[in-house]
Amino acid sequence: MTTLAQSVHLASVEAILAGGVFVTLMIGVFRGDRSLVPLTWVVVAIMALGGFYLGVVPAAGATGFGGLYIADGFSTFLKVLILGAAAVSAVLALPYLRQSATARFEYPVLLLLSALGMCMMVSANDLLSLYVGLELQSLAAYVLAAFHRNEAKSSEAGLKYFVLGALASGILLYGISLIYGFTGTTSFTALHAVVRGHGASDIGVLFGLVFILSGIAFKIAAVPFHMWTPDVYEGAPTPVAAFFASAPKAAAMGLLLRVAIDAFGGMTFDWRQIVTFVSIASMLLGAVGAIGQVNIKRLLAYSSINNVGFALIGLAAGTREGVTGVLFYLAVYLAMTLGSFLCVLQMRGIDGEPIETLASLSGLSRTRPWLAAGFAIFMFSLAGIPPLLGFWPKFAVFQAAMDAHLYVLAVVGVVASVIGAYYYLRVINSVYFADPAPTFAPADSRTNSALIVVAAVFCSPIGMLAITPLVAAAAHAAAALL
Amino acid sequence: MIGLGHYLAVGAILFVLGVLGIFINRKNVIIILMSIELILLSVNINLVAFSSFAHDLVGQVFAMFVLTVAAGEAAIGLAILVVYFRNRGTIAVDDINQMKG
Amino acid sequence: MIAALAFYLFAGFVILGGALTILSRNPVHSVLWLILAFFNAAGLFVLLGAEFLAMILVIVYVGAVAVLFLFVVMMLDVDFAQLRAGFAKYLPFGIGLAVVLLAELLLILGGGSFGVSSPAVSHAPVIAGMTNTQALGSLIYTRYVYVFQAAGMVLLTAMIGAIVLTHRQRPGIRKQNIGMQNARTPAESTSKVQPASGEGVTL
Repeated sequence: MTTLAQSVHLASVEAILAGGVFVTLMIGVFRGDRSLVPLTWVVVAIMALGGFYLGVVPAAGATGFGGLYIADGFSTFLKVLILGAAAVSAVLALPYLRQSATARFEYPVLLLLSALGMCMMVSANDLLSLYVGLELQSLAAYVLAAFHRNEAKSSEAGLKYFVLGALASGILLYGISLIYGFTGTTSFTALHAVVRGHGASDIGVLFGLVFILSGIAFKIAAVPFHMWTPDVYEGAPTPVAAFFASAPKAAAMGLLLRVAIDAFGGMTFDWRQIVTFVSIASMLLGAVGAIGQVNIKRLLAYSSINNVGFALIGLAAGTREGVTGVLFYLAVYLAMTLGSFLCVLQMRGIDGEPIETLASLSGLSRTRPWLAAGFAIFMFSLAGIPPLLGFWPKFAVFQAAMDAHLYVLAVVGVVASVIGAYYYLRVINSVYFADPAPTFAPADSRTNSALIVVAAVFCSPIGMLAITPLVAAAAHAAAALL
Repeated sequence: MIGLGHYLAVGAILFVLGVLGIFINRKNVIIILMSIELILLSVNINLVAFSSFAHDLVGQVFAMFVLTVAAGEAAIGLAILVVYFRNRGTIAVDDINQMKG
Repeated sequence: MIAALAFYLFAGFVILGGALTILSRNPVHSVLWLILAFFNAAGLFVLLGAEFLAMILVIVYVGAVAVLFLFVVMMLDVDFAQLRAGFAKYLPFGIGLAVVLLAELLLILGGGSFGVSSPAVSHAPVIAGMTNTQALGSLIYTRYVYVFQAAGMVLLTAMIGAIVLTHRQRPGIRKQNIGMQNARTPAESTSKVQPASGEGVTL
């Protein structure tokens, strides 16, 4: 049994983020919206401090707060990804917010709250802390989607996201109530024992599991709960879409891994069928759905659905190699998707209006050759073309699937990669080989340009140097779970 | 004698009513929000019934937090709805055709 | 007997309220039916011995959430007849779907073996001689303090969100300035005049 002080020490990251919310909120309230830029950097500093404490506090699978909270290698790995992606999402929004006259100081504060919710999600060791963390993340995300409040498209995206998200939470909760009723506990540790004991044959527990998986599938935008993704990505402000595609995906994926492997480890046979179906459907629908898209943000939305499908292959395998593959996939995916969105943010006409249709990207290679090169790297990497970094995590999950004798999954994965490559290459085609149409505005932010360079170098063949340490860290994290 | 099953039946009926409400009132976002409240109410009835029949308070604690979070969720939902109405002059979801689903 | 009667009364009204919430033509009526459902659900909670939650349901749900709904329904000038279009189209299919889902749920709930009936896994047993409110209080401020704090952050998010989205600073509004009010002294705000008789006063 840990004391309260020990528990708070264990949850230093959450404590720092929560304290940071109050500090930044107070600064914002008294200094007004002109404090947006300094506040953003304060938020980045708070996240960095939280990341620093992740290294300080020992994370050896210790539980705190009466078993509600767990700090282990798995949560640490994901928290690093989450904090990194959230910090980048805060910074990349600055030029956009300034130009669109929605430069309100609440933006970084809401991002911080969302990051707090995500850290709670990946550290949840009880259905109760899972639910509250998930809702904290989601509520902040709903507001962010509608943040551009004078624009109909943004509030429409917020409304759609909210209605479907709240429905998903309701379904998740109904599942939780069934699990509580049929097993008598909400703690993952106790659930693991109960489910392993007799619960696997219980149809009530199975129904609860299906409801819970449906709720989480919505949060990671996996088929058949993906309908909201293209609309929300298109309608939400672009930096918010970049955020949605990155950190919350990693957090919800981590949550799914923990629930499936830790809490319901005794029912692997049951959830593997569901995860396999969802994975195949996401890969195929993500790849096929992207083909007809003309808007680059919608295309990236389908790309994210497609990528979630690939990551789920690793979970379906259910082995330590599979989980390592998922974590490795998430790390690389975050870099690729944030890089792509950073490029999309830079795509503006001379008049400053964002250019989002695929057809008008054709001028990019003439007026912004370096941006076009970076974008090409991200697209090739997302397509999984071998020398680039995006190939290796795909390879890792396929191999895990083969080792687990899930040959169908691996074959479908390869087919979906090939279909997916078609639309990524179509984007490259319109950037480089179509008749040049509009002229693009020059870069508007040195920070964002630097971020693109970092992400592009990471995704390029040079990034292969990072594979060994990344896989080692992911394997260490996976070992905490399995 | 009224047993656990009776309460769970009430919960299940309310849950289905909530889902049905979302399905048949596709245009009216306010009713959709109320349907979501019905779903959460059904969850609470389940949790409290399980908790009461097992003499275990965890379910009631859970229900309390569900109530808290649901209140916050309703506030956010209605705020987004108000913003949407200001921009569009309607609350019909089917009118959401600026973006193709 | 009385307990059974009370259960059927409350349960019947919860379901009636829920059904009419989603079927009403007028959203104001919907909110009122929702309130009826909440009240009767609170009655069910009392029957189950969860008095505190029953009270919270009435205070928070009926008192705050439902009233918020009512506010929004009345504030937005919406043509509700137009929103009913398509209702009849979805109704038969929707009801069919609902019946299937309900049958499935009742099937599992009816035939299940509930783990909660085995006290071996009980984590927070009801303590004899302690009222429901006391027992919940002794849990949420100790064992569940983490979630309690997190729920506070959720409410903070909701507050920030509602303000960010809906608060507008309109130009030309006169606001109360408490500092200025307190700084006023009789010397600068009053003056002594002695009007001559028959001339009236100037303001």
